[in-house]
Amino acid sequence: MTAMPLPVALADVLARGDVWRGDTLASLQDSAIPSGHAELDAELPGGGWPRGNLTEILVDRSGVGEMSLLLPALARLSAAGGWLALVAPPWLPHAPAWAAAGVALERLVVVRAGKQVGWCVEQLLACGGFAGVLAWPEAGIDARALRRLQVAAEGRPVFACLWRPTVAFRAPSPAPLRLALAAGDNDLSVRIVKRRGRPVSGPLALSVPRPLAFAGRNPRAVAGPAFSAVADRGLAAAPAA
Amino acid sequence: MADAAAVAAGVCTGQKLSTALGLQPGLAVFERDAGRERQALENLACWVGRFTPTISLQPPDTLLLEIGGCLRLFGGAETIIAAVLAGCAEQSYSARWAAAPTPLGARWLARAGGSIKVDAAGLPAVLAPLPCRVPGWPGEVTNRLESFGLKRLGELYQMPGAGLRRRIGNGPVDDLLRAWGDLPDPQQAFVFPESFAVSIELPARVEHAEALVFAGQRLFAALAGWLHGRQLLVRRCTLQLSHDDGPPTALALNFAEPAADEGRFIRLLREHLGRLQLSAPVEALRLQADELVDKLGESAHLFDQIVAGEGALACLERLRARLGEGAVQVLGGAADHRPECATQARDAVFDFGQNFGPTVAFGEKLDNSVRPELVEGQFARTQGLRQAQPERSGINQRFLGEQPAQTAVIGRHRPLWLLPTPQALAEQAGSPHWHGQLKLLSRAERLESGWWDEGEGGATGDLRRDYFVACNPQGQRAWVFRNAEGWFLHGLFA
Repeated sequence: MTAMPLPVALADVLARGDVWRGDTLASLQDSAIPSGHAELDAELPGGGWPRGNLTEILVDRSGVGEMSLLLPALARLSAAGGWLALVAPPWLPHAPAWAAAGVALERLVVVRAGKQVGWCVEQLLACGGFAGVLAWPEAGIDARALRRLQVAAEGRPVFACLWRPTVAFRAPSPAPLRLALAAGDNDLSVRIVKRRGRPVSGPLALSVPRPLAFAGRNPRAVAGPAFSAVADRGLAAAPAA
Repeated sequence: MADAAAVAAGVCTGQKLSTALGLQPGLAVFERDAGRERQALENLACWVGRFTPTISLQPPDTLLLEIGGCLRLFGGAETIIAAVLAGCAEQSYSARWAAAPTPLGARWLARAGGSIKVDAAGLPAVLAPLPCRVPGWPGEVTNRLESFGLKRLGELYQMPGAGLRRRIGNGPVDDLLRAWGDLPDPQQAFVFPESFAVSIELPARVEHAEALVFAGQRLFAALAGWLHGRQLLVRRCTLQLSHDDGPPTALALNFAEPAADEGRFIRLLREHLGRLQLSAPVEALRLQADELVDKLGESAHLFDQIVAGEGALACLERLRARLGEGAVQVLGGAADHRPECATQARDAVFDFGQNFGPTVAFGEKLDNSVRPELVEGQFARTQGLRQAQPERSGINQRFLGEQPAQTAVIGRHRPLWLLPTPQALAEQAGSPHWHGQLKLLSRAERLESGWWDEGEGGATGDLRRDYFVACNPQGQRAWVFRNAEGWFLHGLFA
């Protein structure tokens, strides 16, 4: 006759490696990069931006503060001596602003990849010399190419971030962390679409630094009179897109 | 000379050409060119420089390497021999080798066909059974030895010296003594050439650039060995492709940091050749090292974690080779009020060495108004650059060094992104429209600058603009300006 198993304390059962509690987030092997926003860190697995995994940021309208969300983490990486790469950004980075945000310009590389964004990102991730890679892949990138990027990033202490339009939310992606950003009233609304762990309940409202130069003093700015044509010198050469 | 397949078909030296062609109709016949053979031997000697610095050339086809001094570094003679043979096979030379305590002994053993390694104790036993024709003595000496009935070198060695000298001369007897180690045998050392310029002629004309990678591998192997032998690093080298008509094509290869690694050369060469369109078939290649830098010794850490990966600069080189010039850029700031001109993009690979490498021109005087705390925080020592000196960073330093406080403040109010050209905005009821009506949030910032550029082609020219920070109903913050022609969108506060 078999003996009854001895009763085991609940704490021992929970401490086993193959028992996972439903309310915990995953913990990452490499250390995560603190994002600078406490409530976002609380919701991200590992307590910050993940290293060695793809992060996708889905944003439709630019200028709502999407890069300012990342800037504290990028400044931290750059100040520690790491290299940052921007691959195929849709606009030109303005050096004084990036320098004022704390990114060391001599370690910021801009790669105009044209059609080969996927190949470039893969090389940058695989070489192991970059601390952060931000890429704007082309609109039609498929899950297979993203899988290659995820494989290239795995195991390396690199922060890889892809910027995609919100319509890509429907397409499957191997990135373990996906965020959708939108503009809130006076802040940025961050919705974590996919993460390792339990799904997040609702969007976060984060306040990111915005360019309110003289807040409170002059709430309504007025554009002065138009330029006089008499004092106009060679302004016809100014390009109009 | 015939290779193995021809010998199997019955072709041997001394036959007439028609006989050989009759035996093997598909025979490919080449004329021997002594100059090219010597050149190839010298290239091989350069390549071998990575194993040992003492090399001796013995034309037409023998290289002597003195590996006694390097045994401990490489961990045994077998390792060196295996590496040398592997390298020769890669460059498609077929080699016969032997290792012995005396140079002449090694030479004779190799010529006799053996792939053997022998030490001082076993040398006489191995040399004894060699036939007398192996050393290559003149015909009458070998004939006399045959008439004496002496077939092996061992028997020859046991004969009394004086009588042998009278009969066959001093030369062969001295050779015997040298091979056995009784007489010293100094060799003439191969001197690595001062500058590296090596050319090889291709056996057939090459139409496609990718096929040149193989020939280029030999050149780069020689370059890597020469660099190792002279303890240098290369920063720039040129590969010249000569066509039979027309001027030669020159392919410049730049390295972001000075390199001596053969794998890196080959990767870069492959990228460049993949993009090159040949104007005419190529007949010969010539590699020349242009810019060289002394190699600094570095000591490895005792408990070191080896980081896999080639490093940021090598990756940037490859990206630049594939995407073209101007595709990989590092930003710097420029002291200009015009936003288009405030960002200066430098080529990541070219200009890197000028600001950071050991051969930097140490001529830039620092501005006296540089605040030390800004220097320390902003320009920390970067990884991967052995000699980065914080106070010698280039353009950034000059920009922020002049008025660090002011430019930092200005930068805080600038957008992160600028449009390549300002986009005209429609104006309705006196205010601009961009995805909705834009509400101006800040007061006007008048930028009026650039009269010196006026009229020059490609320059920004004179600006007179009022800049505003604006917000639209979707929550986007933009940097718009107004000039005499209307409203324009110039930047985004991302």
